[in-house]
Amino acid sequence: MRKRLLRQVVQENLATIDGRHPAVQRQRRESLRRWLRRALLLAIPGAFLGILVLAGLAAGLHPGWVLGKGGFSGESGAPAQIVPLVKPLPGRGSGREAGDAAISAQRFDAPRPLNRSALPLPVRTVVLDPGHGGHDFGTIGPGGLAEKDVALDIAFRLRNLLADQGFAVLLTRERDDAVALDQRAAFANACAGDLFMSIHVNWIPNRTARGVETYYLGPTDDPFLTTLATTENQDAGYSLSDLKRLLEGIYADIRQDESRLLAEAVNGKLYQSLAISNPRLVDRGVKRAPFIVLVATEMPAVLAEVSCLSNQEEARLLADTGYRQLIARSLFAGIVSYARTQGPRYEKGS
Amino acid sequence: MTDTDSILYVGIDLGTSRSAISASNGQRHVVDSYVGWPVDMVARKILKRSVLVGREALENRSMLDLRRPLERGLLKEGSERDAEAVRQLIKHLLALVGVSEDTRADTQVRAVVGVPAEALRVSKQQLRNVVKGLVDGLLIVSEPFSVAYAVDALLHALIIDIGAGTTDLCVMNGRYPTESDQRTLLNAGDWIDEQLFKLTQAHHPDANFSLFMVREWKEKAAFVGKAKAPVVVTAPVKGKPTQLDITEELRTACEGLVPPVAETMIDLIARVDPEYQEKVRGNVVLAGGSSGIAGLDKALQEALKEIGGGRVQAVKDPVFAGCDGGLAIATDADESDWEKLTS
Repeated sequence: MRKRLLRQVVQENLATIDGRHPAVQRQRRESLRRWLRRALLLAIPGAFLGILVLAGLAAGLHPGWVLGKGGFSGESGAPAQIVPLVKPLPGRGSGREAGDAAISAQRFDAPRPLNRSALPLPVRTVVLDPGHGGHDFGTIGPGGLAEKDVALDIAFRLRNLLADQGFAVLLTRERDDAVALDQRAAFANACAGDLFMSIHVNWIPNRTARGVETYYLGPTDDPFLTTLATTENQDAGYSLSDLKRLLEGIYADIRQDESRLLAEAVNGKLYQSLAISNPRLVDRGVKRAPFIVLVATEMPAVLAEVSCLSNQEEARLLADTGYRQLIARSLFAGIVSYARTQGPRYEKGS
Repeated sequence: MTDTDSILYVGIDLGTSRSAISASNGQRHVVDSYVGWPVDMVARKILKRSVLVGREALENRSMLDLRRPLERGLLKEGSERDAEAVRQLIKHLLALVGVSEDTRADTQVRAVVGVPAEALRVSKQQLRNVVKGLVDGLLIVSEPFSVAYAVDALLHALIIDIGAGTTDLCVMNGRYPTESDQRTLLNAGDWIDEQLFKLTQAHHPDANFSLFMVREWKEKAAFVGKAKAPVVVTAPVKGKPTQLDITEELRTACEGLVPPVAETMIDLIARVDPEYQEKVRGNVVLAGGSSGIAGLDKALQEALKEIGGGRVQAVKDPVFAGCDGGLAIATDADESDWEKLTS
């Protein structure tokens, strides 16, 4: 067993040296595919189209393969031809085995990792996304407090704090409106936001559970998170034609790394600050999940679950404006902490 | 060079607070992960050195540009000074086991360095760049994996490695751990220090103390559950050395670590193949420099009762378990593998 483990360790290291995705990330692709199959089954009306897509996923959406010209043919309803980017390497193996060997040898080549310090890009524009809105209440606390209202109030408070420091701040909604997820992401992209933060309040079936957690983009094997993402991704507004672009978004490595750093900064500050007023608060940590707003935005993006409305004590705290201001201050501290690592002149939006 | 007599294998645990090294020549050392450069000519003249590492740097910090270059067990990003500090730290560790510029010509150095479980690819690449020229071959492994390797807990085991910057949890399934087998929490030794600092400050507002002092108090007396004796420390109050009872503050700070670690531990076990969950529950290994909190093993064992009970055991030598595992990996790796891993 030790020999086998050592071989795996060496392979992992060689992948890092060569700038290739390590096996871990290839496994991520597998888990993404599993998630995507589930999501597509839920989201796409029409079993025929669903079967075509699943067939496409099983055979064609392996990285390094692209949909042929025009993608899925809308007129004929038949899938376009799937074209491999790289021909399988000749070898003793045959069929799929040889193809996989070729893929691991050639197709996963990625650009060499970039030292982030080489690009000291300051954070100037922050896009805040208060979750839910309009007919979509989000979660509702024991006293009737709705997630959509809490999220909007915290976003307003956070906007003031950021604006005072010279950041340009934009909100995906400023009223109690329902805004589709694709529109939220498109808005952030169109504004050339440097950061995207979606603000939500958690609901956990175990009513005694409480805490904060922050998500960044990535597939997950966790059934709870898959369910959560499926729920949050409803009314996404995307169609099948967006599939490939969304997939590419999930595997944008450098942005994912940046999002993770942002998530860690935000979650750390949230927990540190709130634990003082809420001593039994639990740090539920930084997690990965494929929320659509994180997939479709083009800048470092996080989704913060700032407390749990399902917990009576936290619901009571969330009803208090002082506590919501504290949450906004914590999110602000997290953003500033991350921004300081990006460039020397974040302060005045310079 | 192929003469095995001239090859030195080393395992290095590069920690946020302390770094340790084990070498195939039998030497083992641990140093505080601090590096400092004299701030001016006067300091340089007094210290008679161009760079200080470890405890020596900490003790002379008033005269130094002091760096703690590892954040959460990884090189801090964006600062050349911190990259240089890590290089100096590794150079110092190698010097402690007998590797110097004079001996480098005759000795090939092959190193295994442990990093946090969820270290980014970019961070590993940075580490490779930093050690260039210091070692001839470098293998980077997940820290809990090297602990598992050291204590031979490679199958049906859960490793909890509590350091200063991170707590790494990793299920060993007889394969090199993947992301789904591992978790990294930021609740670790430094986090306890911060909590203890705040709590003590709140309870003794007139007392004057630093984070360094708080860290030492914690290291001497950390506990969860029932205190064996009151924890009394000395700190100046308006300049006068005064005894402060920090028993409750220390308990609260240390016990804050239990819920996130217990929750993550249970979460990871719940993901193990049901057939093997009982075995994993019975083989939870506690390691890392911050794992020496009295009663922590019992508290986690208590938490395991929620899912049917189990056994949590602390390793005998938590400071060196990681680098001993690294050394074992280094010596077990094939010659052909090392040739591919030339740094």
